[in-house]
Amino acid sequence: MNSSEPNDSDPGKLQNLTAKLDEAIRVLSVAPAFAKPTKIRRVFDTVRRTVLQEGGCAVVEARVKQLDEAGVFWGTDWLYPEILLPSLSTYSLRSSEPDSVIIEALSELRMLAIALGDYDHPSISSEQAHHYLTQVMALNLSLLFGAPTEAEREQQGRLAQVPRNLFRHLAERIGYEHIVDQLVDEIWRILQQRPIQVSGVKEMITQIASCRADPNIELGASGQGADRLISSLYGTTQACREDPGVDIYDERLLSMDSGALQYEASGFARSMHDTGLVSPYHTVLLRYLLEQNSHLLSEALGLSSTGRDCMLCYEDLVRAIIKETIHPQTPQAVLGLALVLERGILYQPPVVPALWRQLHLPVSAYCKERLQLVFGPIPSPRARLMEGVLCMLGQPLGVGQGNNPTCQSARALSMWAYNDPDYLLQMVVWAARDDEIIIHFEGQPISSQESKTGVASDMSLDMDPVSLVVVPHLDRIYAEMGRRCIGREGDPHRWVNPEFHGWWAGRGFRINVDVASGKLQDLEGFLRHFYACYHPDYNGNQPLIHPQPAGVAVTDSAARFIGWHAISILRVATDPHDVMRVYFYNPNNDSGQNWGEGVIVKTAGTGERFGEASLPLEEFASRLYIFHFDPLEEGEVAGVPNDELQRVISHVHKSWGANRIPPVDLQATGPADDSPQPLGSDD
Amino acid sequence: MADGNAVKRNPEKGYVALLGWSLSAVEAADSFDRRYVVVAPEWAADYCESHDIPFIPWNFERLNDRSMEIATTLKEKGVDVAIPLFEETVEWAGAINSVLLDNPRLFGQAMLLRDKALMKRRAQLGGIRVGIFEEAHDKGDVIRFLKRVNQTLLKLEGDPNDPIHLKAFDKAGCLGHRVIRTPDEVDMIPDEEFPVLMESHLDGWEFAVEAWIHNGKIRFLNISEYVTLGYSVFVPATPELEKYREQIRVQIEKLIKTFDIEFGFIHPEYFVTSDGEMYFGEVAYRPPGFKVFELLERAYGFNAYQGMILMFDPKTTEEEVTNFFPKEVVDAKGVAGCFGVYPRRRVVSKLEIPSETEDHEYFESHELTAPVEETVTKRTAFGTHWGLIYFFGEDTHTMRDLLKRQEDLDFYV
Repeated sequence: MNSSEPNDSDPGKLQNLTAKLDEAIRVLSVAPAFAKPTKIRRVFDTVRRTVLQEGGCAVVEARVKQLDEAGVFWGTDWLYPEILLPSLSTYSLRSSEPDSVIIEALSELRMLAIALGDYDHPSISSEQAHHYLTQVMALNLSLLFGAPTEAEREQQGRLAQVPRNLFRHLAERIGYEHIVDQLVDEIWRILQQRPIQVSGVKEMITQIASCRADPNIELGASGQGADRLISSLYGTTQACREDPGVDIYDERLLSMDSGALQYEASGFARSMHDTGLVSPYHTVLLRYLLEQNSHLLSEALGLSSTGRDCMLCYEDLVRAIIKETIHPQTPQAVLGLALVLERGILYQPPVVPALWRQLHLPVSAYCKERLQLVFGPIPSPRARLMEGVLCMLGQPLGVGQGNNPTCQSARALSMWAYNDPDYLLQMVVWAARDDEIIIHFEGQPISSQESKTGVASDMSLDMDPVSLVVVPHLDRIYAEMGRRCIGREGDPHRWVNPEFHGWWAGRGFRINVDVASGKLQDLEGFLRHFYACYHPDYNGNQPLIHPQPAGVAVTDSAARFIGWHAISILRVATDPHDVMRVYFYNPNNDSGQNWGEGVIVKTAGTGERFGEASLPLEEFASRLYIFHFDPLEEGEVAGVPNDELQRVISHVHKSWGANRIPPVDLQATGPADDSPQPLGSDD
Repeated sequence: MADGNAVKRNPEKGYVALLGWSLSAVEAADSFDRRYVVVAPEWAADYCESHDIPFIPWNFERLNDRSMEIATTLKEKGVDVAIPLFEETVEWAGAINSVLLDNPRLFGQAMLLRDKALMKRRAQLGGIRVGIFEEAHDKGDVIRFLKRVNQTLLKLEGDPNDPIHLKAFDKAGCLGHRVIRTPDEVDMIPDEEFPVLMESHLDGWEFAVEAWIHNGKIRFLNISEYVTLGYSVFVPATPELEKYREQIRVQIEKLIKTFDIEFGFIHPEYFVTSDGEMYFGEVAYRPPGFKVFELLERAYGFNAYQGMILMFDPKTTEEEVTNFFPKEVVDAKGVAGCFGVYPRRRVVSKLEIPSETEDHEYFESHELTAPVEETVTKRTAFGTHWGLIYFFGEDTHTMRDLLKRQEDLDFYV
């Protein structure tokens, strides 16, 4: 088992294997569904041996569409590339079970073919595939640059060469030099959206750091841009530059004078507000300052005069929060706290007492178990939940739905954190203490305990602490509201959205798709109305007051329809280049998306605040299918210029509306099978 | 009892019942143009239902009073013929077909094919050469037979004995097959294995034949070469064995005549001794074990189960048969073989395919699974292998040597 053995590079052998592979694929593809499992074996064996050959990955890549269609992924999660999580690849690629390694490798090669545009997959776009691959590579950098470790060799034997050959092939196809740099860009792009959940980002940074530290790995010139990311976690300031460990750092603090401490404090604060990441050393400093030099606390939190005032008003609360919540295991709580103070929401009368209640909240056994399962036992589940609360209140637009079809619940949490923080705090208490939330729908109470099924049948756990505790309840209530609308004509969001999100969601409702037929209806009227409600030029120059729920038809980079998705519109304003833009919140974990036909959702650089996504109003309108409005505020409907509306309509017709054009309007292009679903399938 | 592929079935052709559960057979039937129904134990019901496989539950234990019931059920459904897939369903097929085809003789024929002692006697009566054999009812019979055989061979006291073979009367293949060399070994046989059939050992070359029979004629005759019995087999055979093809054909025709076989599929075993004499071992009226059908499909490209369905179906035409089968040996795209792995060590912890096996250009795939427990049960009889390894390539001699070589390798370490 000599792991450094060169790959076989006998062209005759590869040719022979290619023939065997083609035969194995043929046999699999013609087998009836029930007999496919008996044919898989040969496919897997042949793929494995092919991949071990020089040039073998290319051979498999060229056949990956056939393999997919023949049924190689049947009966597994890999059948649905859109649900795959990059972080899980780490386990399957290192598995001692050859089949896990092979099916993961096949899945990666399929992503590659999709990313390069060689395979048009119905449920995932080439950008998504590309993103996915970049992340997989990032999480497994050692597979790209390193030789197998002893452990891998022991567990996997010759199999360990499979993921290495695979990664080399992926890197060669995507472009070697770009991977690390691209990855660094990718991390920065994600961090600019200030997500609450940063575990994935941290893992990627850690991978880059350990690759750079490993003398056996030749990164070349790439990865230079990673310095600031790595230092923000592992060596932020002078006194922890070499990542000495928190205990040693704690000792070093003892011998510092106040000048040195101030230097540390401002160093951490700068890095934190710069990257959105908080170093565990930062928490050590804060806890130390709490006892010794509390006048430096606001420096260490990087507060402006607003935040500092707020802290001085509620110093006891802030001290208690630091004491209870901020530990080396919960560094992001520091950022959350700083941003909560900056937002000034403590001045809203209910918020401070509600936070005191949160600090001492008895967490139910069930919630404790869930929190510990995901975040580990240290610190206590209550502290973990408090960290989540701080982060959500501090970064309302950083809420992500994880890998769950629960965009509505994530949107509601974000909206409450943004707009109605004490309501959010109440929800957290009900969920975490009582394991039950009751929301009224048209006067009738709906209990999350009595409504058994939600939109998401299996919920994954990749969520922030608050979402983890609250979303299952919200999801069930939301689904129950939908059930109570069964039988009503039209789209149930009309009634559900205002009841679910809050009084400020407009009771007026427009949709441009006929629910029964899935065809577009009165598109021009819909758009004209949207302009009149939201565009400052036609609504009497009225800025949007409350975030409003809205629905968009998400399209992929080829402008093909992917699905219905819930967002909230936050504001409409001109950007620094005088373009009228809609700034919105997207509960999806990464808002920067290419929706095709030049519609590229921006997350930074055109006036976006942290967590906001934006599009020029015209482009936004071309993907909108539901919006709410106040029926008493009509706007200047007639004033909207016709040519602008026609441009938007043609965008709709060229993208998600292509096969939804009603027969009277234009020639029908065939029935649409994607009517908006009564709640649920949109995520 | 749905049929997912009902569309492509030809109502003009026969309707067949497959007796016993074999996924490969079902797959073949499902992809073929005949209507079919699977008759198998209740545990297959859920699987069949979820995959739209036409199914009738039946418990094949000893043939009993209820055999008429299944025959009637099938007749009412319009089934034309029943096809046995396993040794245990051969007599059921005989009983059922005697009703479906209105031919009582078929049941007697099936009983004959199920009992190894009766089978040998009938073969002997038909003028077919068989070795020395006898039934044994207890250990004493075995010791006497061992002594007598070795006396006949003019062995002196102290010379190593020639072994004798013990086989169950009605089990398939290697099940219950023991080789006895000394009287001491007789003590190891559990009493419940009796009665058994004893045979003298023939120092020859053992091989198996698969013959598809339609209207009393051989329509395809395959010779499967064993490298070591119970370990490995490949098709087509080496030229050294294939040179006996005409002699073998004559032997099979004798067998067909002796057992009065009009249609179906037989799987006899023979020895050919160094002087070119053929000795009949036994014959089965069902598909062979050791995945020979799969090997045939790999080598020739035709589906052997579908061939069987053709043979059994009374509505099959001459033209269909001619078009279905390729020409023996010359039409083979290569040689396909498989090797049954037995762990060689007493204690094993993991599966590790030797790289020389996996890297061989003939290697195709394997069905081995990781060991569930560390201690390997001692093999009493020939036993069952832990899984098969498949090879495919060009040259029969390379294949033979490759399969032989596998016997010296450890797959479980």
